[in-house]
Amino acid sequence: MKFLRTTGLAALLLVLAAATLAQEEMPRQGFFDVRSASTSLNNGVHELEARLQLILSQDALDALNSGVPLTIELNLEVIRVRGLWLDEVEAQLTLTYELEYRPLSQRYIVRNLNSGDLDSFATLYSALNNLGRIQGLPVIDDALINPESRYRIRLRAALSTRQYPAALRIIFFWRSQWQLESKWFEWSLER
Amino acid sequence: MVARTIRRGVTAALGVIGVGMALTAVFLLSRTAQNSEEFESLHIIILLINIAGVLALFALSVGSLARLLRDYRNHVPGSRLKARMVGMFVGLAVLPLLVVFYFSLQFINSGIDTWFNVEVEAGLDDALELSRVALEMQMRDHLATMTQIADRLENVNPRQLIFELSMLRRESGASEISIYGRNSRILATSSDQSAGSLPKPLADEVLLQIGQNRPFVSLDPLARGGYEIRTAVRLGNKGRRDPGGIILAHFPVPERIGAMADKVDTSYSAYKRAIYLRDPLKRNLSLTLTVVLLVSLLASIYGAFLLSRRLVKPIQDLVAGTRAVAQGDFDTQLPAPSRDEIGFLISSFNDMTQRLAAARREASINEALVEAERANLEVILARLSTGVVSLESDLTIRTANQAAGAILNVDLENRIGERLPDVAKGHPLLQQFVDIASVHHNASETDWREQMVLSGEVGRQILTCACTTLPGDEDHETGFVVVFDDITATLQAQRDSAWGEVARRLAHEIKNPLTPIQLSAERVRRKYLHTMSAEDAQVLDRATHTIVQQVEAMKEMVNAFSDYARAPDIDLNKFSIDKLVHEVVDLYRAQESGLQIILKTDSDLPNIEADVGRIRQVLHNLIRNAIEALENSSDGRIEVGVSVAELHDVEVVEIVVADNGPGFEIGSINEVFDPYVTSKPKGTGLGLAIVKKMVEEHLGIIDARNREQGGAVIRIQLPIDEAAREQMIANRLGGNTEQRRERA
Repeated sequence: MKFLRTTGLAALLLVLAAATLAQEEMPRQGFFDVRSASTSLNNGVHELEARLQLILSQDALDALNSGVPLTIELNLEVIRVRGLWLDEVEAQLTLTYELEYRPLSQRYIVRNLNSGDLDSFATLYSALNNLGRIQGLPVIDDALINPESRYRIRLRAALSTRQYPAALRIIFFWRSQWQLESKWFEWSLER
Repeated sequence: MVARTIRRGVTAALGVIGVGMALTAVFLLSRTAQNSEEFESLHIIILLINIAGVLALFALSVGSLARLLRDYRNHVPGSRLKARMVGMFVGLAVLPLLVVFYFSLQFINSGIDTWFNVEVEAGLDDALELSRVALEMQMRDHLATMTQIADRLENVNPRQLIFELSMLRRESGASEISIYGRNSRILATSSDQSAGSLPKPLADEVLLQIGQNRPFVSLDPLARGGYEIRTAVRLGNKGRRDPGGIILAHFPVPERIGAMADKVDTSYSAYKRAIYLRDPLKRNLSLTLTVVLLVSLLASIYGAFLLSRRLVKPIQDLVAGTRAVAQGDFDTQLPAPSRDEIGFLISSFNDMTQRLAAARREASINEALVEAERANLEVILARLSTGVVSLESDLTIRTANQAAGAILNVDLENRIGERLPDVAKGHPLLQQFVDIASVHHNASETDWREQMVLSGEVGRQILTCACTTLPGDEDHETGFVVVFDDITATLQAQRDSAWGEVARRLAHEIKNPLTPIQLSAERVRRKYLHTMSAEDAQVLDRATHTIVQQVEAMKEMVNAFSDYARAPDIDLNKFSIDKLVHEVVDLYRAQESGLQIILKTDSDLPNIEADVGRIRQVLHNLIRNAIEALENSSDGRIEVGVSVAELHDVEVVEIVVADNGPGFEIGSINEVFDPYVTSKPKGTGLGLAIVKKMVEEHLGIIDARNREQGGAVIRIQLPIDEAAREQMIANRLGGNTEQRRERA
């Protein structure tokens, strides 16, 4: 009985130590994911509702906290389904957000580069949460849609490194921590 | 040639393009590393191109090195020189590059590090802290103001709320004040902005903070620059458990303070960003520098291979050409690479091979001419009846023709390389020749001429001999050439001719007075015999009888001379030699009962085409000559043999008459066929001379010799018919040497 207890304790310690080591050795791997997305017709315009989970990697966090702004892109594509032919991208929309930490105010700034709007948040969590919550974003005018065709829409979120200097991009090119990109989330356009 | 030029041109063009591309790639890489706008987006592609270039150059260099090592191991001409040159070029290129690389790395690292400094960082931290403190004081003031506003609004009539709110906003200096009710519904708002812009909904963090009964205050950066202070407090907080509304105000930060704070914030962020970028920048610059170094290094190494190959190629060609020339290929022509010293060397080599080839062609033509001359000379010497022997200064035989061997009865042609005195041992004729020649040689006479008389088994041989020096050359020392001719036959012919003339004159001069002498003697006898006394008559009779008898004897003698001198036309007919020999031998067998005459004939003797009268006389003369030689012999024996034989492919009838008499005197054995040479008291001395003359009229051969067991032998060889005679003539014209040899 005593032996079993000792062994169990040792095993538990081992697992904990391994977990600690693993945590130390393996830096935080971020990931982007589109949890849900849908469109609804509102006053003749299809509007997007989406929930994204955006978790930054350790590298990205370090960069952000060192004053390097991060650019997050949301790519939206409206695709016309064609039976025997390749599908056609009818409309493309890219929403670009810049996430920045301001040391003086100690706040995280989310800037919509499309509209120029700016929001500030006390925590990174709330900033990313705000970024990941999209409501009533106009996607396409219903008048532009052919009523005879079928459409599908897909959404993707990605960390963009294009705006960084070459010295950084070279480093990012080889590091998986900077390859943050969600899979395409796809749904049909309902009318 | 054209293909090679095109290939060379294409290679040069590719080389120039490759080097140009490499330099461009390196240039672009350096520009992109410096954040150049135009190439920034291509940085990774350019870097990858450079890395690909590095790999390609590495592969090329390794390939070239492997080829060089293989050539070096296989001792390919020029490989050692090429290895040395490559080593030298690489050493010259690599060492400075490595030094520059090392110092560049040092400069990059230390240069970038000098951008950052602890004091600046501390100053920035302090500035940030100072700004923060200053703003926090404002935030605290605005929070206190907000608390007072909330208190004042506590007892305000809801109808006057908007009015009061505007008044309080103006008093407090806020840009916007809003009151939110339950569920964050906006109850009232006052703003210094134009109407129409609604306040934003309450942020989660405000609700969270107020929900925890704590006032909310934050410093928010503005999109247009500057800051504003946002504060929120609960309304009706005093003595009420359930929360009432929330009042939220935006206070602008004074523009000057905001601008300065912005600047501090931006500078601090930029500094932190620079610190963050320091390592990636170092790494990137080091990587760029390394790639540039590798491109330059490998290009230099590969260039060293190319350059050394280009420099060594003409030398390799030259080595190969020299080897080809050494092996006798004078047609080797090397391509002239350039107009430098190597090109001059190669064109000189080409000139040399051309001259060598021309000289060889000329030499081979001359050699052929000399060979032809030599062959002609050999043919002439071989056909020459004169013996020609060339000797070294130590009398070693250098060359000898057939005639020389035939005359001296030694096969000199097979003894070339031996000394003549050594060859002479065991050959009496040659020994006599050498003895006479040695007299001149020992007296150091180099040019001499002499008539030699050599004694052989078959008689005397007379040679005319001339010796002269041969000029030496690089292959041969000074030597001698001895030319000699057998003039025995010529002298014999001259003697025969002289004797014929003597005989003819003798016959003519002596025969004429003989008849008057005889007639006169007979007239004297007839007229005075009967007038004389018996005693005188007897004397006269005896004297006249003697005169007549002697005149008759003289007439016979003169007739014999006349016969020798006069040669009636030869009358050739076919007859049986067997029958003729039997007739003549039988005649003598009957007459000479005291002698033994043995006749041996072949059973199948053919008919011979000859003058039957002359052959009969020849047989008579030979047998009579033998009988006369055996006059004093008690057991005289004569052997007559007739057979068919071949003399140099010519069919001949051989007649041999041998006796067991005293034989010929050794000294005169060669003169037995001369007229008036006889050892017998009764002979005229013309018997054998006539025989020889008749045999030679038939183109036959006669010789005389002594037998070992005693006695003389005379052998006659007669061509059997006209065809054999013609063949005999042809052989004599063309094959004098064989004839001589045969005679020897």
